[in-house]
This record gives sequence, structure tokens and C-alpha cells, in this order.
Amino acid sequence: MKISLDWLSDFVDLSGLSPQEIADLLTMSTAEVEGVDIIRRHVEGVVVARIVSVESIPEVDPRLKWVVVDCGGQTFNTVCGAPNVRPGLTSVFAPAGTRLAEGHVVSAEQIAGRVSQGVLCSPRELGLSHWHEGILECPGNLPPGTLLSQYIPAQDVLIEVDNKSLTHRPDLWGHYGFARELSAILDRPLRQLGMVDLSTFDHLPAVPLEVEDFEDCPCYGCLLMEFPAAEPAPLVIQRRLHAVGQRTFNLAVDLTNYILWELAQPMHAFDGDLVRAIRVAHAGSVSTFVTLDGQERQLFPEDLLIWDQRQPVALAGIMGGLATEVRPTTRRVLLESANFKASRIRRTSMRLDLRTESAQRFEKSQPPINVKWGVARFLYLLHESAVGVQVLSRFTVAGDLAEEFRTVKLAAGELDRLAGTSIPAAQAVAILQRLGFQAKSGPRGELVVGIPPFRSSKDISIPADIVEEVLRIYGYDNIPPQMPTFSLRPLPVNKTLRLEHRARRLLAASHLFVEVQTYGWMDDRLLEAIGYEPQRPIVLKNPLQSYNRLLRTTLLPNLFALIEKNRFHRQEFRIFELGHVYQMGENGLPCEEARLSGLSFSAQDKYDLEEHFHRIKGAIEDLGLVMAAGPFRFKLQQHDGLPWQRAYRWLTVWQEDRPVGSLGVLEGDIRKVVIPEGGQVVWFELDMEAIQGILWPAPRYEAPPAFPGSVQDFSLLWDAAQGYEALNAILDQFTHLLIQKREFLYVYRGKGLPEGTGSYTFRYWIGHRDRTITSEEIEAFRAEFLAFLNKHNISLR
Amino acid sequence: MIAVESILQEIEAALAEAQTPEQVEQVRVRFLGRRGKITLLGKETDFRSLSPEQRRTFGSQLNELKRQAEEKIAAALADRQQRAAARAEAQARARLDLTLPGRDRRLGALHPITLVQMEMEAIFEGMGFMVLTGPEVETEYYNFDALNIPPDHPARDMQDTFWLEGGLILRTHTSANQVRALEKYGAPLRAIFPGRCFRYEAMDASHENTFYQLEGLVVDRDISVAHLIAVMKALLGEVFGREVKVRLRPGFFPFVEPGFELDQQCPFCDGKGCSVCKQSGWIELIPCGLVHPKVLEAGGVDPQKFSGFAFGMGMTRLAMLKFGIPDIRLFNSGDLRFCEQFPVVI
Repeated sequence: MKISLDWLSDFVDLSGLSPQEIADLLTMSTAEVEGVDIIRRHVEGVVVARIVSVESIPEVDPRLKWVVVDCGGQTFNTVCGAPNVRPGLTSVFAPAGTRLAEGHVVSAEQIAGRVSQGVLCSPRELGLSHWHEGILECPGNLPPGTLLSQYIPAQDVLIEVDNKSLTHRPDLWGHYGFARELSAILDRPLRQLGMVDLSTFDHLPAVPLEVEDFEDCPCYGCLLMEFPAAEPAPLVIQRRLHAVGQRTFNLAVDLTNYILWELAQPMHAFDGDLVRAIRVAHAGSVSTFVTLDGQERQLFPEDLLIWDQRQPVALAGIMGGLATEVRPTTRRVLLESANFKASRIRRTSMRLDLRTESAQRFEKSQPPINVKWGVARFLYLLHESAVGVQVLSRFTVAGDLAEEFRTVKLAAGELDRLAGTSIPAAQAVAILQRLGFQAKSGPRGELVVGIPPFRSSKDISIPADIVEEVLRIYGYDNIPPQMPTFSLRPLPVNKTLRLEHRARRLLAASHLFVEVQTYGWMDDRLLEAIGYEPQRPIVLKNPLQSYNRLLRTTLLPNLFALIEKNRFHRQEFRIFELGHVYQMGENGLPCEEARLSGLSFSAQDKYDLEEHFHRIKGAIEDLGLVMAAGPFRFKLQQHDGLPWQRAYRWLTVWQEDRPVGSLGVLEGDIRKVVIPEGGQVVWFELDMEAIQGILWPAPRYEAPPAFPGSVQDFSLLWDAAQGYEALNAILDQFTHLLIQKREFLYVYRGKGLPEGTGSYTFRYWIGHRDRTITSEEIEAFRAEFLAFLNKHNISLR
Repeated sequence: MIAVESILQEIEAALAEAQTPEQVEQVRVRFLGRRGKITLLGKETDFRSLSPEQRRTFGSQLNELKRQAEEKIAAALADRQQRAAARAEAQARARLDLTLPGRDRRLGALHPITLVQMEMEAIFEGMGFMVLTGPEVETEYYNFDALNIPPDHPARDMQDTFWLEGGLILRTHTSANQVRALEKYGAPLRAIFPGRCFRYEAMDASHENTFYQLEGLVVDRDISVAHLIAVMKALLGEVFGREVKVRLRPGFFPFVEPGFELDQQCPFCDGKGCSVCKQSGWIELIPCGLVHPKVLEAGGVDPQKFSGFAFGMGMTRLAMLKFGIPDIRLFNSGDLRFCEQFPVVI
């Protein structure tokens, strides 16, 4: 929203304040100002000129005309190419030597044997706006030769307010709303908006009017009148419309736009000879409509239209129709001032991408009272324009104008309680009154407030809204900060979050992992390439990319995709992500859980894959200790699972009897997709919800043996293909009273061993708790153990 | 008589050749040893053939020669020993270079969002707030209706929100947790809700469809604007490590009334105006306000008895400010050249 200080000054005295000070006051009490722009116009030396004659010069350019202008007793010759140049038109003339916008200095020029002594000016040449489609048209009653600077000052200041901060304030979509704010902030009087008393026309006939849906159109008002609608509007109107970026057309249209920018009430002027009756109804079976910009619009049945006796004449609240707009010949105008439901206007205008100034205002829920005030203001401005006006109908209204003040009461002390400071009642009352509210203190100290009809009920309805009105003018910075006092009590600890952070810290602080974050959806193209079909995924209705439809059901595909992205600058890396995955549950309810997934990549194919895998497995084992206070167990999987889970190449991870995740090495066809240039990938994914975490574990202390024992190492030959776990399981069966601990030291597979076997070295600690072990006992233990091995066909190396 | 000078020159020449303490010792033996040249001078001279005068002269010359020879050899020995020690030290140092960088480091890196989140959680826990989390796949009710956002509000358009089947959405703000928390814990309540949020939005350097917020909610008896200002000032003081100047100005959010934008005086220019604050001297940091009575009611809390304030912070934005990250798209890029830069905090 752009606000002209020139315009505001009609209503409130801004003297003594710089534009920046005004902007700061508005920011602190009303809405965020985004910028202050100074408009510099080039009006000096420019005079009002009446066009006497227009003559073609086809030998030079068929579009160019020789024009003779009367500038008040003095005539000038000029060449003009504007399409709207015509005899009798009052425009403005810049004689040679005049400095115009964009640094252009007018000079006398010889054209086709005659001298052009100056130029007729467009709004852009005058610095009024960027419109350059024709020369400025002035009302015919301006005396030729008058200095343009009498009507258009050389400077104005525009304050630009962030539209997002005005969404709840329909009254601030017009200048008068901001004038009222400044009046309240500065405590300076607000001048009344000039309006004509519409009741004086009550004796006239009504306009035939029918509203079919009062929900979408709560109130519709109209007035039929006769005036020179196609004449140019007064320059004060035009200069202000130009200042806010609004193109000017003619008196009727410019006045509706002026009121849109002043009171925030969008209006429409129909040609009153073409439109004689009004019906407000939905589009229904009508599928197209041509708006006044000449575009044919596709309609939905629920779109709201304004109809005359036979056909649609306007897209309600958005744009009028081409067929019934005000034309050069128009004398009669049927003026529409209506109120439409915000969401109806919003849906239609968004769908058609027709974001007009009118639609933007209706979307904010304009108050119905503006239906009446818009018409009353229109007539007032028409009289100000000094043109002949004849009103032909009464002000005809259907629906509720909601003219009454709405009452809300603040209990005694409510304002102070919510402010956290003491605000004198008289001061609160004065602030509210300056904002146009009725306010008085009640007998029991309560504040009785009347909400004015021009403030939307969506904006102001409850006591807290009144508190805001008072405090923002009182000044939030005038409220001394005060720390609340709270009772001391233990708060529930977020165990899940703490364990998540603990897992993150372990991986990043002890295992070289780098934490990454990826998007909450997967890439269909990657899923198809690796052959992954998610079960019951949740589907986005409006994905940003068509291939990002599915919310992630696992974090791994997104992590796989990061390998190719990073391998050109990293030979090896470890990454993890802790984030949510989503799935539709069997019961139709969404199921969301936290996963901890990661991978380790090495570009070296020759790197020892087993070593690589076990380093990552070590990290998972550490995670078990820090999160679950006990070791995870692992089970080798003999069948393929998901595309990255290949038989004998992945393990499931268990906490006691619950599966909590999986880890493995990337093998098979998926490698061609994930690592087309080769390398090794070890991956894991843990289900954080399945892990039963312990925040502060308390393991029991065990005293070390008090008497000397013995350490016995055994290197066992074992079928390497069967693996360590199978051997370990056999050793678990050997129980002996002397055994205090068994530890796996290392495996050797290589030269000097029978084909396919490995040498697995274990260490046994043996001893007594209450006495020193004897050499006979050690020998007996060894003999028993060797016999056990023999029984299982296991030999020592 | 004895050729003192020539013998001394002979010794000096020999010492000049001697590089090691051992070689100096060999020189000593050669001249002063049991069969050394100087020793032999004393032994092999026939004193009887000398007059008493000559004997005295010989004796004193021999003593002087011995003294000087010993002195030179001792000096040379000390010198060679020192040099040998210096060599040994250099060799030892060459084997043990303590200035090489440390090894076997196991540190990776935490994501900058995680770092900011951990910091914020610590600050708020220190102020007696619970840390709560909620679902990212959310219902329209908690994300909109319960927060007094009407059905035809622009925020509900497809243009702003990711819609899922079954009337579900990806939450657009962590405010969605407010009513969930009130339902579960009731009043009084002090809690923050950090989490991931989603907006249907085209991406550029300052817009992301996936980002992190931190919502805060305080509900108690007689909670006021004055409390809100004091808590926000204390919070920002902790975050930025010094007292900060803030200002409160009107802002509109359907779930608060009154609603504010809390601006912080720009920490980069101290309010003088710079590119970060777009020359305004202020940074828009925390939208906040008193909890709307309808929100309290939705959470089962009586607005006649309790009031509260709520605030929202962009954690992604905070991370950008804190670490000087110029492009918001880096956070979800998975680019290790970005992710590796942030240290692990234990």
C-alpha cells in the first residue's frame, strides 16, 4: 500500500514532521513501513493549454499531427503523436526550454518546414507516473495559460507500507485509515471525510436490485445519476492517482479509483444507459465473461457475477465488463458500491490470476458501512469537481450496512493485567476516541467500548483486541519489562530428544560422522532406478517437483543420492541424518517416526571391505551402549530384503528381543545406480522409536579378582565362510567354573592355513574368587577345553 | 731447554684435527699420557747433567708447558663434549617433532541447525522451559483451526502449504504444537517446541520450503506484555552474549492478540544501518504476542483465569545470522564442504 503525504494532509496536519518520522511512527504503532520515496515532478514552466486545431502531416509520419494550442492569449505550434490529441481538449504545454522528466529539455524543432515550439506532455514526461500512452487530459474548465504548478505541486512523498502487515486491517487499504492512525498517534484532529447526505434522494425511484446470495454479497448499494462521466477528472484527483501508481481514465472511473485509494471501498461505474437493473448471482452455467481489459475469462459455476436484466456485466468485486464500461459518450452512470465475501473474491481472483486493487481490498473483509460511505463520498467529490450532476435514483441498498457501533466491555483491571503496567483509564479512553471508538469508564471501573462500524468485525471483536488498540498507540516501548515469577517445580525431561542428541554427538564426536539434513520427500526417479517400492507412503498433493511426490519412508535413498554429489571432492566420508520418516498406518492414520541413518563411503575399491564394515559396526555398538545402556545384538540375514539389503551382506540390529534397525554393505545391481564409478558403501538405519533408551544408566560395580588367576590364549582353526558368530556360539556352550571372562582377540586368514579356514584367537581369564589358582587346575582346564574343541572338530592352529 | 711454543703449536694443530671428545682424549694421551710427549720430556731428561740453574728453568718450563697443555686440552674437550651433546639433542629432536599436527582425531561435524537447536534448548531449559516436539505431518486442525486461522485464510491455499491425502498437511509452523501442548499439560505451562516446518514456496537464497522454527509458549496467571518483553530481552541477551536493545511493534498473527513483531537492534552495526538490516538499524527477529483467548480455549485452558504469550523464532535464520551463512539452500544441500564446517559440541 502506497500512501501519499499530499493526500494524507487533507485530513491531518503533518506539519513539523519529516517523512521518515511519519514512517517511524506508523511502523511503531500501526504497520510496517518498507520505504519512503520522494516523487519529483517536472511542472515548472508547464502551462494549461487548449487545443485549437489538429492537422495531419502525412508526408512525415501518418501518426504525427500539427497542433495549434492556446495558452491564454498566446498560441503555439507543436507536433504531437499522442492518440488522444483532439481539438477542444484541455491539456498541458511545455514551451521550448522547459526541463521535463528524465533530464529531457524541450527545444524548438523544425519539422516539415514549420517550427514546433514546445511539446504537449504525457504524465510520464511530467514525472507524474510512468504512463505514456497519451497526453495529460485536464478538465475543460481550467483557464489556458495557468501554471500547472498551481494544480500539481512539484513534490510529493510516498510512504510504502508492507501489505502483509495490513491483512487484518481493511480500513488501512485507503488513505483515510492512515490519516486516522496518525491523528491518534500525534493527537492532532482528524478532518471529517466530506460526504453528501444520501437521504435527500429518498424520494427518487429505486434501482431494480436483487441479491441472490447474501452470504457471498452481504450488502449491495447503487445509485443512478447523470453527469459528464467521460470528462477528465480534476487534476488534484489525477495527480494523487498517478502518485500511487493508478492510471487515470475519466471522471467516473477516476472517482471510483480515488475512493478505492481513499476509503478502501472498491466501486464500479456502469454505463447507466446499458445497465438499468442489477442482479447479484453466481455464474452457474455461464462459462465465460469478457472483462474490461478485453480478456475472456473462464468461469466456475460458483464465481459471483453482477448481472443486468439479461447478462453478466461484472465479475463481482474483481473487474467490470468490457461491454458496459464508461465510454466517451456515457452521460448516465449506474454506480455500484457493494460488499463481497472475502473468500469468494479471493478464490476467483487467485484462480484467474486477476489480482486487482479491488479484489485485494475485498479479500481483507471490507466493512459494509463503506457501501454507503463510498456513494456519499462519490457525490461529494463530484460536486467538488464543479460539473453538473443530476441524481436519478435513490440510494438503493440490499443487505445489512452494519451501521451500528458494536459494544465490548473490558472488566476493571483487564487492560493493566494484560499490559503488565498501569495505564490511566482517561488515557485509554482518549486513545480509543481518537481512533474513532466510543469509550467510557463504567460504574465498576470497567471500560465500555463501542467499536466503530468502519473497523472490520474480523479485526476487532473481543477485549484483547481493544487492549491492542490502546497499547499500540500508548506505545509498547512505554511498557517497562518485568520478569515473570514462576513457581519452582521439576519439569518432565524430553528423553527422546536427549537420546537423539546423544546419538548425534557420539557419531560426530567419536566416529568421524558428519551430520547432514535432506528433504522430507524422496525422488521417484532414484526409487525406480534402485527398485524400491515404498509400502503405504504418504503422497503429497502438490509436490514442488512431480518426482518428489512421496514423503520419505526411509532416510537411506536421500543419503545414497549424496554420494555422487560429494565424491568429486571427497575420497571417503561418513554421513548421517537423524530425521522423520512417514507412512500411512494400517488404520489410515499417519505414522511418523524418527530414524537415524548413515553411510560410510570410500572411493577405494581395494580398501579392506570387512575392516570398513566393522568400523561402522563398531559405531553402532557404541550407540547401543550410550543410548540403551546395553550391547546391541546382530543377526546375519540370509535373504534379500530392501534393494540395499542383500542376503549375507546385511545384519539386523537387536536390542534384547526387539529389532531396532539394520546395517550392511552395498552390493548387487544397486551399486550401478548409487556408485556408478565404484567404491564401497556401508549403510545403516536405526529406528529411534524402537530403541528403549536409558538416560542415566546405573550398572552395578564388580570388584576385580583379588587372587592371581591365569590368562590362556587359544588360536582355533575354523571354517571362515561360517563366520565368527557361529564359532562364538559353540564356545558359548563351554562352561567351566574357573572361567571369569572370554575375549575375542583377532582373526588371521592367509598363508600357512588350510584353504578356507581362519585362525580365531580367543583369550580366557581363569581363576578363583577366594584363592590363587594352581598349575594343576590350569592344566585340567586346558585339557577339558581341548576335549570340548575336539568334540566339535575344532583344532588348534 | 724445552721448545715450549713449538710443542704447544703441535698440540693445537692436533686438537684442531680432533672432532670428538674421544679424539681429544687421544691428543691428551699423546702429549700428557703415561708415555706422552710431555710426560716423557720429564722422564727422559737427565737432570744430573743440568746445573741447578738449568734444572730450575727446566722444571718451571715443564710445569708451565703441562699447565698450558692441560688447559688447552680441557677447553677442547669441553668444546667437543658440548658439540657432541648438541648433536645428540638435534638427533633426538629430529626423531620427536612435537610440532606436527595431532593424530587419530575422531571428530566429524554436527549440522548447524542441530548446534543452534542444542544451544536454544540449553538456554530455555535454564529458564525453566520444557522442550517438546510434535509431528511434522499435522492435521489442519492443529495447524490452522485451533490457532484461530479460519478456513478461508490465505495461508491454507495450495500456494502456501504442502497438502497430503486425508486432509493432512506438512506443518507450516511449530505453532501447531501450542494446542497439543496445552491439551497434554494444561496451565501453567512453559515450553518451547523446536522443529522442522514446510512451506510450499519457490526456493532462492533466502527462501526454503523446508526450514526450522522454535516456538515458545508461556501460560500462567496474569501473564502480560511486560513479561513478554522481559523474557525476550533475557533470551536474546543469552543468544548474543550481551544486552540487546529491542523494540516491539504491531504485527498480525491470528493466534495472538495483541500481536507483535519484536525487532532487535542490528548487532552488526549497532543500529547505525548496514546491509544486514537494510539500513534500518533493526532486524525483525521474533513474531510474538499474547496468546489469543480462542487458542487457550482450544487447548482447554480458561482465558478468564490464565493468559499467556507465545513467540516464534526462525532457527534456520538464527543459524544464518550466527554462522554468517549467506544462502539458505545450503542447509539441505548435503554438501560436505558446507556440513563439515561446524564443530561438534559435547
